[in-house]
Order: sequence, then C-alpha cells, then structure tokens
Amino acid sequence: MNDPVNIGTLLSGTLSDTLTVSLPLFRPELTLSATIVLLLLCRMLPLLRLLDSALVALGGAAFALWYAWLDMQALPVFAEAASTAGGRTEIFSGLLVFDSFTAYLRCILAGFLVLYIVFTKVSGIPDREDGADFYSLVLGATLGMCLMASANHLLMVFMAVEMASVPSYALAGILKGRRAASEAAIKYAVYGAGAAGIMLYGISLLAGMLGTCHLPSMAVELGRFAQAGAPGGSVMVLCLGGLMLAVGLAFKLSAVPFHFWCPDVFEGAAAEVGAFLSVASKAAAVALLIRVAYGLGMPAGGAAAGELVADLAPVRHFAVAVIALMAAVTCTLGNLAAYGQTNMKRLLAYSTIAHAGYLMMGVAAAMALAGPKPAAAATAVGAVAFYLGTYVFMNLAAFAIVAFLRNRLRSEEIAAYAGLVRTSPGIVVATAVVLVSLIGLPPLAGFVAKFLVFSSLVQAISLGVDRQLMLLLLVVGGVNTVISLFYYLRVLKVMTFDPPPEDRVGEAFPLVSLSGAVVTALAVPVLVLGIFWSGLYAAAQLAGAFAS
Amino acid sequence: MSSLPLLQNALLVGAILFSLGLVGILARRNLIVMFLAAEMMLQGISVSLVAWSRYHGDWGGQILVIFVLTVAACEAAIALVFVLGAFSRTGRLDAAAWQSLREATLGRVIDRELPASDTLPQKFPTLTPAGVLPETDEDELLQREHV
Repeated sequence: MNDPVNIGTLLSGTLSDTLTVSLPLFRPELTLSATIVLLLLCRMLPLLRLLDSALVALGGAAFALWYAWLDMQALPVFAEAASTAGGRTEIFSGLLVFDSFTAYLRCILAGFLVLYIVFTKVSGIPDREDGADFYSLVLGATLGMCLMASANHLLMVFMAVEMASVPSYALAGILKGRRAASEAAIKYAVYGAGAAGIMLYGISLLAGMLGTCHLPSMAVELGRFAQAGAPGGSVMVLCLGGLMLAVGLAFKLSAVPFHFWCPDVFEGAAAEVGAFLSVASKAAAVALLIRVAYGLGMPAGGAAAGELVADLAPVRHFAVAVIALMAAVTCTLGNLAAYGQTNMKRLLAYSTIAHAGYLMMGVAAAMALAGPKPAAAATAVGAVAFYLGTYVFMNLAAFAIVAFLRNRLRSEEIAAYAGLVRTSPGIVVATAVVLVSLIGLPPLAGFVAKFLVFSSLVQAISLGVDRQLMLLLLVVGGVNTVISLFYYLRVLKVMTFDPPPEDRVGEAFPLVSLSGAVVTALAVPVLVLGIFWSGLYAAAQLAGAFAS
Repeated sequence: MSSLPLLQNALLVGAILFSLGLVGILARRNLIVMFLAAEMMLQGISVSLVAWSRYHGDWGGQILVIFVLTVAACEAAIALVFVLGAFSRTGRLDAAAWQSLREATLGRVIDRELPASDTLPQKFPTLTPAGVLPETDEDELLQREHV
C-alpha cells in the first residue's frame, strides 16, 4: 500500500523543510525559548546573577515582539490574504500552521508580555529572588499560548494547552508564604488535570474514529462521513469526542460550567498572576477555539474547496450550537455572579468569565457565517481579534490598578477603596475609563469591540443561518451589557461617594509616579482605541482573512 | 485474534480505566489519591490510543502516547510539589482542609461539629498578659478542629 520511501530522501526533505520553511516562521517562539534558558543560566553564574531577571525577560519579550511584528509585516495585504486564506503555510510537517491569524495573535501575546513585564517590575511581585522563576514560568506559558494560536494537529492542541497550563499552576502558587496562594494552586492543578484528561479522551475518540489527528485531514474525513451517511453509533461517538474536546477548551476559556476554578484562583493568587491568566490565557484559548472549530468545520483551503464546505455543514451546525449555548450561559452567569462580590479580584474574575462569553458569541457567529458567506465570517473573526486587542489593555489596566492599590492600601476589598476620589482623583479617573470600557460604552475601546461582535451576530441573523441561536445570543448579549452596568458602576460609586474608612493605612496615590505612569500608559490606549480604531481594526481584519 | 475484537477489548479496558479515574478525581478527598486518579485517566487514554493505532496500522497513536506520558510526568511532578507544600502547612492530605477561598454565600463543609464548649475562646486566668494577644486566623482554627 505504501510506496517504499528512501530514508535518505525522507531525512533531507524533512531537514530542508524545517530549516528553510518552518524555523524562519518560528522566530518569536525560538526567542522566548532562548530567553528562558538565558534567565536560568544567569542565576547560575556569579557575575550575571547581579543582572535583574526582569530586564532579561523584557529584552527577550521585546525581541519576540519585534520578530512577530516582522512576520506580520511580511503578510500579504488584505485583498491578497483573503484569496490565499491568510497566507496559510503549514510548518513542522503539518503540526502547526502559520497564517495571518497566527501572526496577529503572536503580536498580541508578545506585546502583552512586554507591557506585563514592565507592570510586574513596577508593582514589585515577583521580588528579586523569585524573578527568574516567575519570568521563566511566564515566558514558558506564553510559548505554549503561541502554540495554541497556531495549532493544526490535535497532538499540538493537547501539548500547547498543557504547556500553557502547567506553568500557570505554578504561577498561581508563586506567593509561597500565603495560604490562599497554595489553595489557589492546588485547586487549579486538580481541576486542570481533570479537564486535560477529559479533553485527551475526546481527542482519542476523534482521532481513532477518523484515523488522523491532522485537523484539515480530519475535516476531509468528517466530510466523507457526512456524505456517506454514517451510522448513528459513529455519529454519537464523534459528537461525544467533540464535546469532550470542548470541555478542555472551556476549562481554558473559563466558560460555564467549567469556570469554578477561575474566581478561587484569581482571589488566591496575586493580582499580577490574575492579569496574566485573564488576558494572555484567555486570548490564547479563544484563538485555539477558533482554530479547532475552523479546522474541523471548514476545509483548509477555505471556501475554495467547493463541495466539502457543504458536506461539513452538520459539523459546523454542531459547533455553533455548542459554542452559542455555552456563550449565552457563560455570559449570563458571569455577570450575575459578579454582582454580589466584595473582593475586587473576585469581581474581575467573574468579569473575565462574562467577557469569555462575549468572545464566544463572536466565534459562534463566525462559524455560522463560514458556510454561506465566508467574507462575513472573516469579518466576524476579525471582530473577535479586535476584541482581544482591546481586551489586553482593558484588563491589564484593571489588574494593574488592583495591584498598585493593594501596595498602597494593603487590601483588595472593594470597601477599602471607599472615598479614594478625595485623596487620589487621578487613579479614580483611570479606573472609570477602564471599567466603563469593560461595560462597553462609547467612546471607549470596549464599545467598538462589543459593537463589532454584535454586528457580526446581526449579519448572521440577516442571512438566516442558525437564526434562533443568533437571535438568542444577540438578546442575551444586550441584556448582559445592561446587567454588567450595575456591578462595574458600584465600584466607581464606592470610590467616589462613600466616606473613606477611619483606619485607612495607605497614603494618596498620585498619577505622577512610576506606578501612576504604568496605569496611565495602559488606560490611555483604551481611550485612544475607542476613537482612532481603524489601525487595529485593519490588523484584526487581516487576521480574520484566513477564514474567508 | 482479528483486529476488530482486539480493538473493542482494548477500548473497553481503556474506557473502564478512564471512568475509574474520573470517578476517583470527583469523589476522593485525599489529594494524592486525586492525582493518582488523574494519572489513571491518562493511562486509560493511552491504552485506547495504542489500540486505535494498532487498528489503523499507523504510528500516530503511539507517538501521541509518548507525549501523553511525558506531560503526565510533568503534571504529577508539579502536583506533588503542591501536595507536599499543603501537607507541611496543614499536616493533612484532606482536600477539605482547603476551603477558605469560596463564595461568601456558601458555607464551609464540616464533617462533625465539636461540642460547643470546645469552641469557646480559651482563657488563661492564671497568666499575666505579656504583650498583645497574637492574631488568630478564625478559618484556620475552625478547620484544624472541625473537618
């Protein structure tokens, strides 16, 4: 059956493919790996030990951002990108895929990393002793997240999720002396181990039934199944496999009903760790969801593959139903549960759960549009990509404010923020900008992001694909935006109207300080992106081009 | 034995191992046993992957198993660090010792109540106070006695 292959040609073919095609497109990840080695080496050598590990990590992240930016620049412009499915190239013999979406997500992750390292350096967690550990864990997790964004093979999906998760468990427990941090780490690790096991069983079912793990080949096999009218039993097994795979993805996304770890971990771990988990981890999880849903629901060549697109319609319908229902529940529960919280980190944890719901709505719309109108699907993916871009600034700023206020007030309770406006009006204004943007009100970045996601839902409704589900999502999204108004504004109300507590320990927090500058640098883009959003929008649309 | 019954038998064994692990991780309270159960899930998956690999006659499944084993080792290593830390802090392996992070509206899980007299704050009538009374974490006290 198989042609005899000469081992020599096989090796030289693999070697030349790796060296000339794959590795040049893998520079950001290679830079991150090299930085991790450097960080650990620095601690072993006597003189280099004096070097601050934050600086080494910052240098590595800046290089990774530079390479990611170069890869983004080298992409064809939108019109060409749309015709070549985002400049799609499979690298490392099909394990990973490089296209406009990969390039965009890597830019987001590396850019986030640069901002994040500056922020942690200023906020003081980790201290100098823990710095090398902390930053090598952060860089390692980011490496896994880059792989999540470019996975093209179920083996890579599993490995990338684990590479992102395992360092995150350790990060959650980085404050070794604190009881709450240990508790957060244990809960996260137990939950993560269970979710990874279930996801892997789903992978084994799918891979076993279809005989391959390579996502585009799996789509071809699925199309054959659908065309031949597969027996009910095997459809059941495939659905079960898909649902179990979705459990693993939902754990990473902290989507209901697999969100239980999220508030506890965010409350127990340091605010800095929460920032990393809520931004980078979520962005990568959304990217992975898009990769898996698109990989299984659409042929690799995009709409050009003709009848396979029609054959895969049941797969897409299944994916839309699962993602849409989960999105509606996630969004609603996140917002309702945030309402009663008294701890700011816990409130933000529920807020990230709710935002995962909004992001999944965009993914559901994209999957619904993928068959009948690929160009609109590309716009929907672009809307999700834009949302992720603004989310970096919004949530990082929110957690930065929590961390800096913790350094001043020694507390993360909302009640401790009472009357802050009298002593530190600048920080209250910054908080207002960030929280109003998280609600999604104009003229801030969060409004544009939410508007784009909802408009892709409207487009799906007007085309009449999965109409009821899309209508449900639109209504749920609208109602939730109103609900979220209350709990975000309650924080602002406490900060401005309530009298300050008698036993306040901290002093004023002026914006003219190093930490104030970090908050300003994160909050100003939220305002600017709400008004001048065309630049990021163009980049995000280019990212979505792979879907057309 | 022909390949289809072989596949079915191996998948059955794999599924049983997986479900035992899943039940274990959901139902057990000993931290070490919970992680053992998670490992058992992965072993069940490995069995079924190898079976599929043999059925299809390619190496993909077995390669996946090698990666799964590596990842399982990493996960077990980091989990044991947490368990060890937890044990040295509380002196017990019970997962119920770790419930201070929870929703404010949810109560603590308590196996048996102590008699009310024991929970009263201790008084030291014969000792003259020296310095301030050290702060006690109410949560920690409760769970040392109650769980």
